[in-house]
Amino acid sequence: MTLRTTFIGLAAATGLGVPALAQEVAVITPYLAQPGTQFYVDGFTARAEELGWDLNVIDTAGDVAAVISRMEDVVNQGVDAIVINVDPAQIGAGLQTAEDAGIPVVGMDAGSDPLVAANVTSNGYAMAAETAVYVANRIGGEGNVVMFTFDPFPPVQARGVIADAVFGNFPDIQVLDRITPDVSDGGIADSRAQMEALLAANPEEGSIDAVWAAWDQPALGALQAIEAAGRADEGIVITGIDANPQAREAIAAGGNFEASVAQDFEGIGQTAADTVARILEGEEIVQRVIYVPTTLVTVANADAE
Amino acid sequence: MMQVARRFGGVAGMLAVIAFFAINLPETFLTPRNLLNISQQISMLTVVAATMTVVMVMGDFDLSVGSMASLSGVVAAILFTQDWSVPAAVGVALAVGLAGGLFNGIVVSVVGILPFVATLATLTVFSGLAFVVSDGRTIFGRDIPPGFGDFARGGPVIGMADERALVLPNLTLVAIAVVLVIWIVLEQTSYGRRLYAIGGNRDAARLAGIPVVPLRLSAFAFTGVGAALAGLMYASRVASANPTQGDGLMLTAIAAVFLGMTLTRDGQPKVLATLAGVAVLGVLDNGLTQMRVDSYVREVLVGAIILFAVGLSALGRRGAARRR
Repeated sequence: MTLRTTFIGLAAATGLGVPALAQEVAVITPYLAQPGTQFYVDGFTARAEELGWDLNVIDTAGDVAAVISRMEDVVNQGVDAIVINVDPAQIGAGLQTAEDAGIPVVGMDAGSDPLVAANVTSNGYAMAAETAVYVANRIGGEGNVVMFTFDPFPPVQARGVIADAVFGNFPDIQVLDRITPDVSDGGIADSRAQMEALLAANPEEGSIDAVWAAWDQPALGALQAIEAAGRADEGIVITGIDANPQAREAIAAGGNFEASVAQDFEGIGQTAADTVARILEGEEIVQRVIYVPTTLVTVANADAE
Repeated sequence: MMQVARRFGGVAGMLAVIAFFAINLPETFLTPRNLLNISQQISMLTVVAATMTVVMVMGDFDLSVGSMASLSGVVAAILFTQDWSVPAAVGVALAVGLAGGLFNGIVVSVVGILPFVATLATLTVFSGLAFVVSDGRTIFGRDIPPGFGDFARGGPVIGMADERALVLPNLTLVAIAVVLVIWIVLEQTSYGRRLYAIGGNRDAARLAGIPVVPLRLSAFAFTGVGAALAGLMYASRVASANPTQGDGLMLTAIAAVFLGMTLTRDGQPKVLATLAGVAVLGVLDNGLTQMRVDSYVREVLVGAIILFAVGLSALGRRGAARRR
């Protein structure tokens, strides 16, 4: 027996240097191929490695029923926690299986459900407030604002409600129109068409002061319409939300599109991992929705990332 | 020797897969709870693959089953949003499956378009209809009646394990019923024997007085209704419906039938062999997930195993033919 093996044997006998059985955590998503999801998972994985977890990332390639099947499998396998990135309303059967086995489920931008211990996401109310206030301040609290909203989709509907409240709090701001674009082709083309119609209906310079969009695509459509109409120099302020690459580019160019809000996808992944860690340590999570701070993107920081 | 390998190679392979997982996952694989789990996970695929067997007996295909499953799910869900009762909406969705299946039958059998081309076209049609009907949206939440979503979560309790009830899932019961019906149709009726005769030699069957055109037409009704039923089972399991959710069923169902054909004496599609094929695919998904094999590697492995099994069976058959 060499010195080395003796030492290892000693360490094992005394429990020194031999980690306790690693915690097993499964991340299950149908959407791994989408860029946003990859950032969540990257953030989660980095934190999980620091915590020494045995991590299993499972992608079901768009199949939601398979998410339920894989949840059943990992429950059977006896994992310590499950992280999901899919609407909990669609995987009730899987959540119930985990609940029955006493395995906690944490949502990574998933949605709230009584069977989800906590959902980690961005605060849509705060993001909408940030851009709406940006618009109001930028136009000095008075003028005509065009809103692009989409009430059929609850997370976006919430953004619209907040913008309504902010603009309603400025007596000299009028909401000229509250447009719901057709989003079947992504939302840019129809938003552009609707904005073109609105520009035609309001031909005088200065009759439109700002465009507030509940996400980036309508903001980009409105930008195209304003530029095509030759009214880019009227100082119409445009804001979006999400700060997708195309929006960042437009903001960095320094035109009418002035601001958007970036979600911290990696931060959501990291915080989801931290939340799992808290639950595994036995903490009862009372705050069932955990928000990760977002960043206002303007020409000052649009090039970052 | 080759004879034995050909006849029992497939069965041995399947047992080897099960033994492999049983050894590697001693605590969790061969438990009643896990086996019931697998039976529920494969129930939708079982229904599609069992009905697919009916047309594959004649050497035909139905590529439209996946999009039909999606279509039937959104049809039922849309009717739910119009306050239809669960039985009525399910009835309409199944009727859509029957109509789609008969339409496939007409274009393949009466018009005479190759099944591959005809059902590829109807795949696109059904998929488009699913988007039209649903407006591209996912229908979920309060729009889906609780009774419909609860069906897939429930089932008769058949025992206890680890102080938790063991449930025989309703979806498993539906799948068993479908396999039983298809087994009776194919193996116990003259209808089924005629389908096999058509598959053996269509011209000979026609000369022997078998009404080939109406029989081929009617067989597609099975795949249509089976696909619609599977789509409803899927919608119940996820308590929601979207216009693409059943699409993945088609290729896997055909793979399962082929996998099953490696088990039968003369390489004919048989519904119980198809069931074994489905079970192997389900076991692979379940076992590899539990062993924490990467999901993409899992897909590669499953495809490779299908190729290996079918390839082995083809080689064995060729060896047998040479000796004859």
